Amino acid sequence: MTAPSLGRRRFLTGAGLSAAAIAAPGILTACGGSDDSAGSGNGKVDLWLDIQGDANQKYFNEQVAALFEKANPSVDLNTTYYKGDDLRRLVQTALQARSGPDVVRGPAATQTLAWSKAHALADLTPYADKYGWKDKLSGWAMKAFTTDDKLYALPMRVDTMMLYFNKTLFASKGWKQPENRADLEALAAEAHGQGIIPFGSSNVDWKAAGEWLMTVFWNHYSGPDALHQALSGEIKFTDPVFVEAVELVQTYFDKGWLAGGVDKYFAVPSQEIGANFGKGKVAMIPQGVWFMSQVGQYFGAKAKNANEWDWMPIPALRDEVKYPLYELGIGGSFGINAASKNKDAAATFLNWYYGDRAAALQRMADVPATYNIPIDFADTDIPKKIDPRSARVLTSLNKAVSTGDYGYVTWTWWPPKTDVYVYEGLEQVLTKKIKAADYCKELDRLFTSEKADGTIPALPAQGPAK
Amino acid sequence: MTAAVVGAGVRAPGAARARRRSAVIGWAFLAPLLVLNLLVVLGPSIATVYYSLTDWSGLGPAKFIGLANYTKAFADPDVHQAVLHNVIWFVLFGSVPLAMGLLGAYLLSQVRRFQVLFRAIYFIPYVVASVVNAAVWKMLLSPTSGIGHQFGIDHSWLGDTSTSLVSVNVVVDWHWWGFLAVIFLAAMQSIDPQLYDAASVDGANRWQQFLSVTLPGIRPTMIFVILMTVIWTLKAFDYIFIMTQGGPAGSSEVVSTLMYKQAFNEYSAGYAAALGLSMTAITAVILAVYQYLRRKGWEDE
Repeated sequence: MTAPSLGRRRFLTGAGLSAAAIAAPGILTACGGSDDSAGSGNGKVDLWLDIQGDANQKYFNEQVAALFEKANPSVDLNTTYYKGDDLRRLVQTALQARSGPDVVRGPAATQTLAWSKAHALADLTPYADKYGWKDKLSGWAMKAFTTDDKLYALPMRVDTMMLYFNKTLFASKGWKQPENRADLEALAAEAHGQGIIPFGSSNVDWKAAGEWLMTVFWNHYSGPDALHQALSGEIKFTDPVFVEAVELVQTYFDKGWLAGGVDKYFAVPSQEIGANFGKGKVAMIPQGVWFMSQVGQYFGAKAKNANEWDWMPIPALRDEVKYPLYELGIGGSFGINAASKNKDAAATFLNWYYGDRAAALQRMADVPATYNIPIDFADTDIPKKIDPRSARVLTSLNKAVSTGDYGYVTWTWWPPKTDVYVYEGLEQVLTKKIKAADYCKELDRLFTSEKADGTIPALPAQGPAK
Repeated sequence: MTAAVVGAGVRAPGAARARRRSAVIGWAFLAPLLVLNLLVVLGPSIATVYYSLTDWSGLGPAKFIGLANYTKAFADPDVHQAVLHNVIWFVLFGSVPLAMGLLGAYLLSQVRRFQVLFRAIYFIPYVVASVVNAAVWKMLLSPTSGIGHQFGIDHSWLGDTSTSLVSVNVVVDWHWWGFLAVIFLAAMQSIDPQLYDAASVDGANRWQQFLSVTLPGIRPTMIFVILMTVIWTLKAFDYIFIMTQGGPAGSSEVVSTLMYKQAFNEYSAGYAAALGLSMTAITAVILAVYQYLRRKGWEDE
């Protein structure tokens, strides 16, 4: 008798396994209910975050949570830490169940827009008016999170792509920082000839790393003008200028310049690449600004080497593209859960986090890149005690925004499904399953469909922005 | 006769009451689990059926679209590829660990000293969390610093589309076979030793004893393990997701990882629900066949 009942249980488990994973939110929704209460502005505010590492969490606990609570004794900020990808899944499930944290740490703008369209996020416009957030935060970043004149989240971190390099290796080889494609390729060929991987890259630990590469090549080869036109629907992603950029990525891989080859890009963990970067076996790494908070671990006494790192702007890969040029984007967002019973207190936290300019700048100075919220400041406002490399990021981005020499990162300005295809489809190109032209054709099809649905944030106008 | 009938009539109400009371107690003990099952299995299952017929993104309202998700799944080359990978996975996962488990168990059954120690060593990979195993193996399979590299083989096991699926499967097989060995060993130890003595007297060698005594002796366990393997094949997710995330270029994608991507990355939870239900239907068919064969006495032959 045991076996049949076990078989049935197994059957039910098998049948319900995927069901439970996918449909639990739906059931929970039914159990929940809409609650538009803004609360009293006091009490507990739940925040789920993806800050990793003891030191980083300690900094947030002491320099953010504790300081906020000291300034607002009637609000208890309750922070829970999760792993990055887990957090998005958990928050998404919780939002559907009309539960979860009061302050929602959302993903990129387009993904957060999807959450907003599902009415999972509270309209922040009244709070923005009350606290004057539009005067405190950069306009271009705020517009990315505004749809139908409603603000649905606040931009969390300014993102851009940079070319990190082993400064000691460059000095020992007498290499200069390349500013154009010819210099970059000459350097890559020389490094490769000496058994050094010119550009470290891997998608082993973060599958979406492919879109970092496409962001770099589309911005610095195709150029921001072409991207702006494509994202505005004026030209197609099938335009040769985009196809050629994809082919250039493929060429760099085929030559063994990127990652040492396609097979290694898919198989060598990022920790190993970082270690080799520190040792001088990898010359440069095209990575996001966030890498600033991690790259230090591969250099110096801790990594048992005497090397130093630095960063440079990505060289122009076509004569028509400006140098230096910084692609702009937003890495994540902070919103308020539409089901929160304590929206006012959550807004109090957001206002404290974004409103105190001096404290925000101090955080930017303390922790490289992590707390770079899009606020307007002059270069002279940057605290003196800051790593000069971090300071250079802030001043460079300030300049890029004011002069209009900026581009567009895929994870902010591309709609969600198209964004996923950027890196999923790139794998097909790199493994030669499809051609660059087919990739761009499918990309264009998805983009056109999603643009028609309105799941795309407002692009910053070309030229100087604020 | 009359007295006996009367006597039986007198006893009957008491026995019926006792049966009823026993049934009530049984249901009372069963109730918490039943309620839990209704909540966490049946409820979401019904919801999944509904969502599979909608365009639900995973958030917000859902629009009824009939069987569109199912027709899309039937024509979707990504689904075809993932199903094929599930089949390959089953063939490998259903044969390699099974053979290794049987061999390991048989060898262990011959060992008199340190058997517990060996059993523990076999079991360790199964005890270690899959996240840890997968992360360690990801490093061990690195083409520039892994095991192969130390022996002069710089093949990119996880980065090559022709070896990624098999490579992850090898890791899962390594994790699973020790568990099977211990299960098989327990089954082998329940076989009457006299059967081996009889076979020996009849002149059977070790291999013949294994085929004619051991295998028939552990038949119910074998069938149960095969059933488990089928179900585990359809559920294959964690190692693949951690080690390759279905890549490169979908070369190690199985239905469960594809389902996850659709639900959480592409905001196509309705489509993911349809894929999940399709897999559930396949599982149900396999279980139905298993039940049918059991009733036919296949397990006990």
